[in-house]
Amino acid sequence: MSWLQLLFVELKAILADKAIVVTMFGGVLFYSVLYPLPYLNQVPTQQQVVVVDHDNSSLSRQLLRHADASPKITIVALVGSIDIAQQWISESKAHGLLVIPEGFRRNLLLGKGATLSYGGDASYFLIYSAVAEGLISAGMDAGRQIQLVGLLARGENPQQAEQSLHSVNINSVPAFNPSLGYTPYVVPGLFLLILHQTLLIGTGILGAGQWRKKGYWNHVSPMALIGARLTVFSAIYALFASFYLGYCFYWYDVSVQATLTEVALLMMPFILSTAACGIALSSLFVRRELPTQVLLLVSMPILFVSGFVWPIALIPDLLVQLSQVIPAVPAIMAMLELSQMGAGWTSVLPLWIHMWTLFVLFLLLAFIGVKQRLKTENG
Amino acid sequence: MRVLLKQELKRLWCSPWQLALVTYIPLISILCLWWLFSAGLPRQLPVAVVDQDNSQLTRTLTRNLAANAVIKPITYTQFADAKAAMTQAEVYAVVVFPHEFKRKLLTGSSPTVDIRYNSQFLLVGKLLSSQLQLSVGAGLMEVAGMKQLLNGANRATVAVNLSPVTSQTTALFNRNNNYVGFLVPPVLIALLQLLAMMVFVNSLNDSLIRQGEQYLLPAKFWWHVGAKVLFYTPVMLVHGGFILAWLYGVLRLPIAGNLLLLIAAQAMMFLALWTLVILVFLLMREPARSVSFCTALFAPAFAFMGITFPVNDMPELAQWWRLIMPSSHYIDSHVSIISYGAGALQVLQQSISYGYFIIVLALAWGLHRVIWNKQIALTTRSQGEAVGVKS
Repeated sequence: MSWLQLLFVELKAILADKAIVVTMFGGVLFYSVLYPLPYLNQVPTQQQVVVVDHDNSSLSRQLLRHADASPKITIVALVGSIDIAQQWISESKAHGLLVIPEGFRRNLLLGKGATLSYGGDASYFLIYSAVAEGLISAGMDAGRQIQLVGLLARGENPQQAEQSLHSVNINSVPAFNPSLGYTPYVVPGLFLLILHQTLLIGTGILGAGQWRKKGYWNHVSPMALIGARLTVFSAIYALFASFYLGYCFYWYDVSVQATLTEVALLMMPFILSTAACGIALSSLFVRRELPTQVLLLVSMPILFVSGFVWPIALIPDLLVQLSQVIPAVPAIMAMLELSQMGAGWTSVLPLWIHMWTLFVLFLLLAFIGVKQRLKTENG
Repeated sequence: MRVLLKQELKRLWCSPWQLALVTYIPLISILCLWWLFSAGLPRQLPVAVVDQDNSQLTRTLTRNLAANAVIKPITYTQFADAKAAMTQAEVYAVVVFPHEFKRKLLTGSSPTVDIRYNSQFLLVGKLLSSQLQLSVGAGLMEVAGMKQLLNGANRATVAVNLSPVTSQTTALFNRNNNYVGFLVPPVLIALLQLLAMMVFVNSLNDSLIRQGEQYLLPAKFWWHVGAKVLFYTPVMLVHGGFILAWLYGVLRLPIAGNLLLLIAAQAMMFLALWTLVILVFLLMREPARSVSFCTALFAPAFAFMGITFPVNDMPELAQWWRLIMPSSHYIDSHVSIISYGAGALQVLQQSISYGYFIIVLALAWGLHRVIWNKQIALTTRSQGEAVGVKS
């Protein structure tokens, strides 16, 4: 069988298998829409807050108007007591709570100071941070105004008063993901993981379906079979990767700082090592429904161990070290550094070499595994 | 029925993978996922500090940063080095104290402290942004207070002058913002749903009768399904119970409501899940394809739970899709029991939302009738042909 013929029968075997088509073509397309779907609105806005106003003065009402004007929160109700507010929260009608103490305005004007209490439902962290940020900025704003009035009343000139209030500017700016959006945060890492998992499943199902039967795979050497399989899967995944990293990143407003050549160079060892890993794994299975299940089980741990959801510094060392054999782990980190955070090629070079090492390792394992399978089935 | 249940047990015994799925695989994966997040509170996150002023004031501010449990300041002399460390994710934020910071502050022109935080890692970035502002702000407050004291204000007025409105922020229900309490339960529930889905789909696949290249449904299909439901619901509930016992018993995470109610809610989730799996199974009728399709359906369930990203900010379509996932119905009850201490009545009210799954069951029922009639027609014809050939 010539090389071209072998490539052709490989491709035919992949396309003829409905389970592979469902996972690879269906999965890749379906997930490109489904996974980012919940996050399309990017940032949580207008979180419902209920207010307990014990003061009911002009200042407290102004504070409420300011709070309501914040894009992060919306005030849904003004209730009489904290108990009622609690009930609103436990019925999920509100996620935050603001308590203005009695004598708020009076104490402030007398120069005694006052304390505002905020509460946010920390069962939902994004909601909590939105509520806290919105309320704190409204409270600080009210405080500033009182301060200014106080200073002016004591006879300072307005310009100086303004300056003593803002003695230092803290200029805190997010780098890399300027909108603090959720899709640019999730999509780059997640999409690489989807490519990784579907590729592993695809090669797994193909192998598991073939070992116990007779077919073209018995007529070629293990090396030729692996080579052809690597070529065909890599070609298909080069297409998928272009779709994900090209069109989908553009569609979901993910920033792309790397050049096309750099991304292509990075994806090459990733796809190759993943495909080799898949072929090596496939020699462990003989039932076609198993690869999907095993790989599904490990996908959540891989996502969390890759270090963009939960900082690597906090993950137990043993887990981090074990995860280094998974091609997706260095790939996700390298991709984030290169394309999202604008690191130079030299700084991702170690990760790149890491992926090539994995490729060599899995190629060796694949050779041993496939040889074993073909030998037992032939003999 | 007893015969069918015994048959289930025998099948389970003969399939090593299925046996693993209901015994040690859940335990290992539950404990592994918990272990990953077991640090709970983000601490000692590396932050680059570039001190171009190097005055007593900026050193005090750096010490202030070090005193914050979340921040671990690392001193860089060159901004370029700090930037490189940031792009390689070695540090998660950069704080720059500019040249002549102290002099500008004392002479009354307002200098700027630059903070850049890595928002590509959203969780870490947001946390550091607020903590850095808090620490730097608190440090500067001291300086401002000193200035006022020197001008002759008394101590009591200084405090009020500096911040007339103090705020007290309380994290309700999860007081120290523990990530184990926030993230681990939904992650484990998503995992449990995946496991339950696989177990059930495998057991349904087991009942298929293989005939050449195609698969046939067994006779008395719904009896088989009934036996599987009776058999696997309690088995999966044991694992669900293990998750709850681990989180709220061993780790002692706070819980306001009743654990038994949670078990009941889990049982509802499984029943809803079974209907979906049956429908997919009847549509596919081939082991690998059923598994692939169910995987595609349930793998993203975690994103739709609404724990990490609030439900009311999801687009309409996502909110609809969310209703198809049994886990998102369950997580609502979970949060209201764990956090708000909801009672049986409220949980019952919430479980009305499972109503959609009756439609799914009806669809499955209809689909089965169509398939079964076709199958009978086919088999009688082939039998007829066989008889014809014989005679």
